[in-house]
Amino acid sequence: MSVGLPSDEVAEDYKKALEDLTANSRYEISNLTVIAKENTEHALAISRVLENHIKNTSPDRKLPALYVLDSVVKNVGTPYTIILGRNLYTTFMNAYSLVSIQVRRKLDEMLKTWKEPVPGSLDTKPVFPPETIKPIESALLKARTAALQQQQQYQNRAQQEMMRGRPQATPNTQWRHTPTPPQAHGVYYPPPQQGYPQAQRSVPMPNGHFQPHSPYPPQSQYVPPQQPQQPFQQQGFQQPYPQPAGYPQHMLPSQNLDSLKKDIADLIGRTKAEFAANTFDNTLRDRLKALVDLQIILEKQQLPPHELQAIRDQVAQLSATSKPTSVPPPYVPPPHIPPHQPLRPQQPPAQLPAPQTNDLQALLSSRNLADIIAKAQQNTSTPPIAHATSSQTQQTPVAGPPVPSVPGSDLLAMLRANNILPSNSNTPTNGSLGYPSSATNTPPILPASLVRPSLINDVELTSASLKRHVSLSLILHVATNVSRPRPHLISALYEGRPNQCSTCGRRFLATDEGREKKARHLDWHFRTNQRMGESAKRGQSRSWYVDELEWIKSRDNPEDAPLTDASSTAVKAALAASLAAADPKKKHIPAPSDPALANQPCPICQEKFDTVWNDEAQDFVWMDAIKIGSRVYHASCHAEVKKDGESTPLRINTPDSVLGKRKAAGSDITANNAKAIKA
Amino acid sequence: MSLPGLELSAPVEATLVPTIQELKEGTEWRFEVAFGTKVEVRLLSGSAELFGTELAPKQPYTFSGTKSAIYTWHGCRLEIVGDCQVEYIAEETPMINYANLHFALEKLRDGAASAGRDGPRVLVVGPENAGKTSLVKLLTAYATRCGRLPVTVNLDTKESMLSIPGSLSAATFSSIIDVEEGWGSSPTNGPSPVPVKLPLVYYLGLANPEDRTSVYKPIMTRLALSVMNRLQDDSEAKTTGCVIDTPGVISQGKGGYDVIHHAVSEFSVSLVVVLGSERLYSDMLRRFNGQKTSAGETIAVIKLDKSGGCVDRDDAFLHQLRQAQIREYFFGDSKCTLSPHTQQIDFSSVGIYKLAESSALLTSLMPGDANEDSMIPPIFDKIEPSAQMQNAMLAIVHAETNDPQESIRDASVIGFVYVAEVDEKRKKLKVLAPLSGRLPNKAMIWGSWPEGVTDLVG
Repeated sequence: MSVGLPSDEVAEDYKKALEDLTANSRYEISNLTVIAKENTEHALAISRVLENHIKNTSPDRKLPALYVLDSVVKNVGTPYTIILGRNLYTTFMNAYSLVSIQVRRKLDEMLKTWKEPVPGSLDTKPVFPPETIKPIESALLKARTAALQQQQQYQNRAQQEMMRGRPQATPNTQWRHTPTPPQAHGVYYPPPQQGYPQAQRSVPMPNGHFQPHSPYPPQSQYVPPQQPQQPFQQQGFQQPYPQPAGYPQHMLPSQNLDSLKKDIADLIGRTKAEFAANTFDNTLRDRLKALVDLQIILEKQQLPPHELQAIRDQVAQLSATSKPTSVPPPYVPPPHIPPHQPLRPQQPPAQLPAPQTNDLQALLSSRNLADIIAKAQQNTSTPPIAHATSSQTQQTPVAGPPVPSVPGSDLLAMLRANNILPSNSNTPTNGSLGYPSSATNTPPILPASLVRPSLINDVELTSASLKRHVSLSLILHVATNVSRPRPHLISALYEGRPNQCSTCGRRFLATDEGREKKARHLDWHFRTNQRMGESAKRGQSRSWYVDELEWIKSRDNPEDAPLTDASSTAVKAALAASLAAADPKKKHIPAPSDPALANQPCPICQEKFDTVWNDEAQDFVWMDAIKIGSRVYHASCHAEVKKDGESTPLRINTPDSVLGKRKAAGSDITANNAKAIKA
Repeated sequence: MSLPGLELSAPVEATLVPTIQELKEGTEWRFEVAFGTKVEVRLLSGSAELFGTELAPKQPYTFSGTKSAIYTWHGCRLEIVGDCQVEYIAEETPMINYANLHFALEKLRDGAASAGRDGPRVLVVGPENAGKTSLVKLLTAYATRCGRLPVTVNLDTKESMLSIPGSLSAATFSSIIDVEEGWGSSPTNGPSPVPVKLPLVYYLGLANPEDRTSVYKPIMTRLALSVMNRLQDDSEAKTTGCVIDTPGVISQGKGGYDVIHHAVSEFSVSLVVVLGSERLYSDMLRRFNGQKTSAGETIAVIKLDKSGGCVDRDDAFLHQLRQAQIREYFFGDSKCTLSPHTQQIDFSSVGIYKLAESSALLTSLMPGDANEDSMIPPIFDKIEPSAQMQNAMLAIVHAETNDPQESIRDASVIGFVYVAEVDEKRKKLKVLAPLSGRLPNKAMIWGSWPEGVTDLVG
């Protein structure tokens, strides 16, 4: 049994599970949710792993990872809401800045649901407290408003300077590289600096308390740096943190691929927006199709690196050439590249004539595509972002030349702001507070995504339906699919109900209510045993089944429920009553064979019963008789008396010595309970 | 009394030496007991459960004519007296998965309770002998143990729940399920050591519902209607939802899963559990996964492994099982003996209906005239009692003898009588009714299932 696993182990498992989460699979997500739920004692470790995963995973996997977070906070709640809420701004904004337009929509929706109570929960508190969500919202809002202003600014600037360091990569590479830190390092970093940014990134992973620093990289992407000198501070700040080389280099290829995919997704998004604006433009549609095809190819096939690089180059080149202002790009910013070339193995081959497949070439070289890209670039302020990234990563004086003019230095400003208030880095407002310019904090990408309409609506659909059923089928699947023993749940069936009846094995809660139920249950056993003895003499037979209405209205009269009598007689009595209610005179019972009983008169009128042969019953019977408990009454007498008093007077009348006090007491108790319940 | 030597006779008489089975945690003692032999099991220590229902410590449980299993989560010691046909301890069971399904359902019920929604409606499908009924029983028992009020529905006419074969039934389970006798007992007019369950019963009178889906489906619709009404009427049942057992034959895909489809929509099933068939699972996935119920919930389909303990029960065993169920209806079980009642009735006082031959068969027998028969074929033929009817079971339903045939078909069952003798000369029927008193003057249905019992009345 897997009790008491150490946190590390759980975290490690969880991390592995997260790494397997490549698509928006509700099964896996709910699976992860259940694991989180069952390991709340390791909530800290799991939260840390989850945050790191969201931060570090490739952009196209960020959404599923965020859905895990969403599912966990909604379905498990505390302590996850508390732990994850601490760095929510960072986590969310980081992801938001790197994902595509469609994904942002989903994130927006998700954010909205965080302000509301968990659906289906009685708790009216929102998923996250307003003070956690507000900063995110305000940051997004600022981004949106500032975006428009900035766009022009950026474009101007971009036209002058953007291509400086990274011509070819152009928007694509920028998009692509921004999210994936390692690449950025690889491309832009002079070796000495490499350690810092890495440290910066890797810090949060092993040590949760370092997480406050994680905001830097993401934010940096948003902000076009303007003051080159800030990097120094930044650097100084970060240096104390050890753990360099947190980023394994072997991740790079896949990250490259991912980023390329993301670029294409972004392009598609933009093209869709274009297309939405000019729906009749057939060429646009064709381009869109070409891009989508390309995306599919990338998704479906494992392409050798050189082909990948070729694709990238094509995309980049096309977009670059189509850009009026772009300078013919040196592949990589010359000063920085050389040391890092090994990090990007794809780069060098790219410059060779690409031995791509014809398909790809056709796809890529289509002018349409180029046009699209060009247009997209003009509309989006992507270029500045590129600089942001580069400058972010550069952060060093060495990077001086490109940096100064690059908007990315704003990021550094942000960083410094954070540096100033390191402990609060998780409070999103810091940056903006410290730096007026951080209002520019707005990712340039944002406006593009927000302003443009998307052709695709199904995004909302899927995410909405997903959310609605997070609590339902997801949980279900997980629970059954994970054939993992859950001893603590099993114990809910056993130890959770320690109060066991020794006769039938039924268990009751250890609460007062449970004890009371058990007492009634034991009474029921007692009564039943007594009546079993009686009925053995009398003969017992199966009752007719009830009809639909009676069944629907029937309430199980469980032995421990505070009701008048044992279930079987209650049902039977009800049935008999309904059958014979019309005329008590027609009621009859088989004449008792027990001579003692046969000579007993009706306790009410003290008259004896007449024994007659009844054809219907095929037996000797007592007409107008009714048997209640051990006594036989005239049905008419009984009905009469019953009419007078609301409750059956029989108990008072019966000098029931046989049953003794116990039964009487039991009945009283149950009667009282019944009253209590009614009251 | 303490006469010398008297005590000695007792142990000599008890030739049956109890055997002890030690079960490790998470294992299962599987056993088969033939009809006519008895095996007594006692839980000495630890905890044990039979299809979800916990055994009381030290209490003797007697089994006869069963293929069953006792599982332990914590390990236990069982004392067994008597001879089992087969017995062994199984280490591998899908119990963890089954229990996890239950806990998942509990979560849904919690959610339903807090949101005022309906609890999960679970349909269990799978081929014959896949353990469907056992799973349904387990889920029911666990729900009951958690203080819920599950509504359990049996659509399998081959076997029955709280009734005789040939019927469909539904019941709520607020108290423990009988460990020794299937699902337990329906109400009697006396006390019962295990609380009785009140079933709502409908009668098809056929072993294979796919033979006459035109009759089976309306009955199912009617049953579903009652169950849904109950759920709406009873808040406890509503949050618990229901668990539905199905006949294996509808999962074989011959009728294109038409019947499953019908059940899913009629009970607005929110979860389809597929037991032990990959192919069925993929078919179900394709058909239902992501579909919406009438209430707008999404239907989920999950697959569970068949237990290694599932055994194919041969026809002879099933026949005996049916006979035993009929016998139990009239005469009770070992714990509680019932006294049925024999009586004579006139032919004239009964209205007996028999399912009409299927129209397809009829038309094929009448070449050329098929077109002429544009009328809707009758559901039933009203028939005079005849010698053929001897030993048959008749279902008395909540419908008048002259009601329209649809009403008779859809009516719920009042009870069953057994035709002990048909006297064609005197036009009298001798029937065995469960209780004394005049038979309700209602329509009766004569089904071809279950087959007649010859030795019911001596």
